[in-house]
Amino acid sequence: MAIKPEAQSKLPSSFERHGLTDEQLIAIFRTMLMQRTLENRGFQLNRQGKIPFASASEGHEAVQAGAAMAFERGKDILVPYYRDLGLALGIGVTPYEVLLSLFARAADHSAGRQFPHHYASRRLGLHTISSIIAAQLPHAVGAAFALQYRGEAGRAVLTTFGDGATSEGEWHESVNFAAVHKLPIVFLCENNEWAISTPLARQMGQPDVYKRAEGYGLPGAPVDGMDPIACYEAVDEAMQRARSGGGPSLVEAKCYRFLSHTTDDDDRTYRSPDEVKARRKDDPVPCFERLLAEHGVLNAEQAEALKRSVLEETNDATDRAEAMAYPDAADLYEKVYAEGCEPWIV
Amino acid sequence: MATTDLRTGSLERHGLSDEQLRGMFRNMLLQRQLDNRGFQLNRQGKVPFALGSEGHEALQAGAAMAFHRGHDILAPYYRDLGLCLGIGLSPFEIMLSIFARADDHNGGRQFPNHYSSKAAGLMSFSSILAAHLPHAVGAAYAIKYRGETGRAVLATCGDGTTSEGEWHESMNFAAVHKLPFVMLVENNEWAISTPLDKQMAQPEIWKRAAGYGMPGRRFNGFDPIQTYAAVKEAMDRAHAGEGPTLVEGTCYRYLAHSTDDNDLTYRTREVVQERRKDDPVPAFEALLLEHGIVTADGVAAMRQDVLRETNEATDAAEALPYPEPADLYKHVYEGAWEPWQS
Repeated sequence: MAIKPEAQSKLPSSFERHGLTDEQLIAIFRTMLMQRTLENRGFQLNRQGKIPFASASEGHEAVQAGAAMAFERGKDILVPYYRDLGLALGIGVTPYEVLLSLFARAADHSAGRQFPHHYASRRLGLHTISSIIAAQLPHAVGAAFALQYRGEAGRAVLTTFGDGATSEGEWHESVNFAAVHKLPIVFLCENNEWAISTPLARQMGQPDVYKRAEGYGLPGAPVDGMDPIACYEAVDEAMQRARSGGGPSLVEAKCYRFLSHTTDDDDRTYRSPDEVKARRKDDPVPCFERLLAEHGVLNAEQAEALKRSVLEETNDATDRAEAMAYPDAADLYEKVYAEGCEPWIV
Repeated sequence: MATTDLRTGSLERHGLSDEQLRGMFRNMLLQRQLDNRGFQLNRQGKVPFALGSEGHEALQAGAAMAFHRGHDILAPYYRDLGLCLGIGLSPFEIMLSIFARADDHNGGRQFPNHYSSKAAGLMSFSSILAAHLPHAVGAAYAIKYRGETGRAVLATCGDGTTSEGEWHESMNFAAVHKLPFVMLVENNEWAISTPLDKQMAQPEIWKRAAGYGMPGRRFNGFDPIQTYAAVKEAMDRAHAGEGPTLVEGTCYRYLAHSTDDNDLTYRTREVVQERRKDDPVPAFEALLLEHGIVTADGVAAMRQDVLRETNEATDAAEALPYPEPADLYKHVYEGAWEPWQS
């Protein structure tokens, strides 16, 4: 199901930057480039037989880079889903850390035990990622409840999910609980119109996730998920409300999933390449590049240099991570139970 | 929709005949009498447990009138005595359930006040909140899948159930597939001991309908006629293939959650007393009297008849035996196939 044209405002020709500096705008663009390059790398490594699996977030670059800019490092908590490479990069996860996850090496934060693209970082306030749709939401709401319970002002939880997750019972229970207790949390839906192979029209009786907000008694708003500045503004407003005790919000970013669900999926079995091709005209990466060029924030030469540096960093991270060792088979029982509490040791 | 006003006494009968109006009132009286009897028997030590639906009489009597016997399917929750009476269950069947006798439809194995009847189109109850809704939606899906026209599923729940994930998943599935399904919420403001404002951040459940892409409406659940009109409109839509509807009836729970609950630990007697002024049973009686649909003598006779029927059902059910211990393994697996007899 296509987004109605009127729902998808084009990037503004009159440039509204919502307080973002040139440096921040360029940082957003670099995150978008890095996301696309790393993503591509995941698919390449999989096709080369070097890694078992990668998931894909092409089409989500703008919403993720924009939302990440509204996250306060060292304060906020991010509880993302598995298609959030750009959000993870945007809050400080390095390409090397991403590659360690993809290669499932021992030096990975989960010691190579998690799915690829399921990062975690206590340092950055990044929750470990669940593959189970919507299972992260009760945890996210629990973290927000803890912030409120402890009276920690100025902190909030940002949690994300796709359109498919909104049909899960946990989604409903989490949003309702957050609303009842006025918790410091932002629910960011990255509506890409596809839940693996289920199109939005078979996911919901009406296409707007944000319209569910009223029934829970919290503010809800749609935003053009192909526009990183609009996404920054919408998420920033919601995060500020959360941090100042104004309660939760639901933000729905309308984007699109350009690739298959993962390297294990062939989207040609359920949608036509023509549909995807038609949507490519909204691709946020070239659109944002044009905007920055048009307004003199980034010239062609600078953009080329940026792309080169992103590729170099990706190559370097790939080589370094690949050179690292897999977890030792003898470590299988480590890091699951606290030391001395392994249930099989009686 | 024109509404009955129980206070000023105007009567918009929405096509209901005098006989139907009296039928609803008798259901309400019977409901209260049987409810009371369950609590009495529990306090006498004769039954282990009973649930009270006082305050839900009007809503249930009205909704039951919109149910097409022999066509529709009812998937109720455990506080739906009046709905079950209204679709054809007898007081004797209710008493068999409360006494957990062998002749009960489920062989005395279910909770008290958890009826079921294949003949009446009444699904077996779940004590687990919202667990019945995926089943109800599944029944509606089956009706659509088989192309059966003119049939629908009426499912009910309390306000507390609307916070359960299964509620959401069921509502969404019904909306996506435009199923012949009516979700009737009996909002009595209490989920056992949790008040509505700790259940939801905004108090109107019907407002959730828009988010699913289905119509939603709210009505005064103390008014049986208004309830009938709202539920009938929704059931008509479902029968005509126009998809599901969310209807919310506001009412109040006058008694404790069950005979095992003491509501004075979480609400005051005064609060309940104050809400008693809206009690639907005397209010509807006054309305029918005022419009000459019943007479004072007629009401007295009806009350006597309801009490007699309740007493007879109680005695008849009590006199029956409990299930035999030897029957423990019956009625679980079909026929002679029992997995432990390999």
